[in-house]
Amino acid sequence: MAQATIKERKSLSAWLSQEKVFRLIPFIMVEATFLLLLAVPFILTIYISLLKWRANRPFEQAYFHGLLNYVRVLTTEDFWWALGRTFYFAGTAVLLELLFGFLLAMLAYRQFRGRRIYITIFLVPMMVVPVVGGYNFSMIYIDSGPLNQILSPITEAMGINPRIRWLSHPIAAQWAIILADVWQWTSLTFLIFLSGFAALPQQLTNAARVLGANRWQIFWKIHFPLLKPAIMIAVIIRSMEALKLFDLSVLLTFGGPGTSTETIAFFLWRQVWQFNKYSFGAAASILLLFMFGALIFYGIYLLVRERSIVEEESMR
Amino acid sequence: MKRIFLATMILMGITIFVASTAMAAMMVHPGKTVEERAINGAKAYIKKHNLKNPTQTMLLISLFKNSQPKYLREWKKLTGVTMKTIQYGYTDIPAKIMAEAVAKTGQYDVINHFPYVIPDAVGAGTLQPLDAYMAKGKPDFTGIDSGLLAQQTYKGKTYWFILDGDHIALFLRSDIMKAAAKDYKAKFGKEPGCPDTMAEWEQMAKYFHTKKGETRWGMKFDQPLYGAQAYRSINFSYRHFPAYMGGLLFDKNMKPTINSPNGIRAIKEFTSIVKYMPPDVQGWGTPQLYPHWGSGRAFSFMSFPSAMGYANRNPKSKISGKQLACPVPAVKGASGKMVRRAPQAAGTGYMVNSHGKHPELAYYFIQWFTGPTKGDEAIADPAGFWDPMRASNLTNKAVLDKHTEPFVKMTMKNAKNAISLLMIEGNYEYFNVLDKNMAQVMQGNISAAQAAKNVEKGWNRITDDIGRKEQIAAWRASVASGAYIDKFAPTN
Repeated sequence: MAQATIKERKSLSAWLSQEKVFRLIPFIMVEATFLLLLAVPFILTIYISLLKWRANRPFEQAYFHGLLNYVRVLTTEDFWWALGRTFYFAGTAVLLELLFGFLLAMLAYRQFRGRRIYITIFLVPMMVVPVVGGYNFSMIYIDSGPLNQILSPITEAMGINPRIRWLSHPIAAQWAIILADVWQWTSLTFLIFLSGFAALPQQLTNAARVLGANRWQIFWKIHFPLLKPAIMIAVIIRSMEALKLFDLSVLLTFGGPGTSTETIAFFLWRQVWQFNKYSFGAAASILLLFMFGALIFYGIYLLVRERSIVEEESMR
Repeated sequence: MKRIFLATMILMGITIFVASTAMAAMMVHPGKTVEERAINGAKAYIKKHNLKNPTQTMLLISLFKNSQPKYLREWKKLTGVTMKTIQYGYTDIPAKIMAEAVAKTGQYDVINHFPYVIPDAVGAGTLQPLDAYMAKGKPDFTGIDSGLLAQQTYKGKTYWFILDGDHIALFLRSDIMKAAAKDYKAKFGKEPGCPDTMAEWEQMAKYFHTKKGETRWGMKFDQPLYGAQAYRSINFSYRHFPAYMGGLLFDKNMKPTINSPNGIRAIKEFTSIVKYMPPDVQGWGTPQLYPHWGSGRAFSFMSFPSAMGYANRNPKSKISGKQLACPVPAVKGASGKMVRRAPQAAGTGYMVNSHGKHPELAYYFIQWFTGPTKGDEAIADPAGFWDPMRASNLTNKAVLDKHTEPFVKMTMKNAKNAISLLMIEGNYEYFNVLDKNMAQVMQGNISAAQAAKNVEKGWNRITDDIGRKEQIAAWRASVASGAYIDKFAPTN
């Protein structure tokens, strides 16, 4: 009996020590992780999206509904409004984050006294838990709160009511969310651009200077083209996140006033967790996956193209 | 022969009646009071199932985290059952209930929430019908008005025990009315007081609306005095709108009644008074409205009843002892008559999870805690948020001490007009359609007539999606139960 066990162990260790098995193990692990974490939930979501199922009925009563949930989503006006709002928030916020992140990185990439402290301070917002950030902003935005107090000399001089209703006016509330997002995530674009600036080849700058280029020409003709891949990375990463905007919308305004700050993520949450429309939610999320996926892949395509252009130009 | 047969039949009938009555009496747990029967029921259950240190869990609204534990300790002392709590904000609990419907973990035994979760939770099979346990425990619901009592049932079965008369009421500033009495009477021919109609409330809101820096009725207003404040944000509007509708939201065949002259009138009245409210009101919930009311910057407040206690007891309140509690004003409803309808805007109660290990044991806790004696004790609890709802509250000294006699009298009067919100599946979705359209009207984006059309369309879409036949059956059952006081018009 004992001999048989020893023999089995030996054959197992011999089998494991084979080169091909050794190479296979990580592959199997990756595949298993992929199957468990991505493929299974994805297939389940597609399956649920093809059923007629509200959670207020047992799953056993669900029945095949074909593509009707997809039709329902595409003909729901609120879905398109929420999607439009999300693109508006994401587009505006990402644009501002790119701008501020770029400017801050331009200021901070050169060596100066206290540079590290500045960089650390600039990175702090990104490390704040979004829920905490959201609550802080909800207090900052109170109509008698600190932001309006600070702005009051300007608003009063302009003849505007100093009590700006940041959270209860439909347009102001949208901007309140955009500004909170910009505060939190400019740090990330700053970090990306800072690493981009740090990677700029110094010899090119020096050569341009020797050839008589001024600062603007150096920036526009050399630095900016070389930074395009970093810009594309910042755009893609931030867009991916900004299109999922949920926490600020919930914490600051709960989608209101009215529906003026209801993002697509919030819309989905409501449909599934408040209205129990699981199969509708599944269909909507699949549609969004394809919509957002197409955008992100287009972004990645642009990034790859930019990189190859930069590489080609540096080869010349 | 005939006589003998007849006598035999009568004798048999009497025997069967006596035997069944005796059997039913034997089934009822011993005890003179509701609470005693619940305790004995729990003890008998533990003994029968030979449970050692039984532990159960309650899904509790976090608002009650300070007040509920005292009663759970008492329950343990009386029965040996440990009742743990898992606390969530009330907005999160419906999702937890539906997640339980899918996962069937039995993690929660008792669920504390509003009655509006019942239709969806019953549809999903999460709630245990309590009727069989009630036959053994004999709970007592005397003194609870019909609109509140009807909320306990859904499709003819009981799922929920009420402990909170949280129907909306109107509060006015008595000090300001006293100061303005002469001037007001000269203008309107009567002294200011509880308004009879919603239109009169708006008239009062307009009259008392005062700009910052003005001096009126011998009072200098350093802050603006808003004529009114009320819940007008998403997730809250729907709780108040039925007071303006003054009738059923659907006809017998689930056709929405909102797209009608009465519905449009209701939308107009609901949204028109907003101009006398703080400009932020569309973004406000209780955490903003209560402190604003307490700060003395509004003349009137249509709210949950606890607003009065908050403003009386909060140390920062500037209006303590300066409030007049009024029942909800009347509207000219669908029938053409003046009716008062006080929607039970929140109102917590207790349910039993059907997936729990010992639903019967969980039931005995809710019978004990919501019973006439223990329930009144909770309503009188200074740390609690349970509002008066039983006739016995009118004579209970502790309840009167906590809530004040005028308030208890008013709220019990208001309870006669208390109605349920929508007790059908998918109610949150119906509510959301209403709220969104009310918001659009308040923002001036659409007219009341357009909102009525949108709501009608949206509600029909939901009804068709859930299943018109099932919804009609549930709706008719809830109307028949008296949950909305109003009944279908004979023409329907």
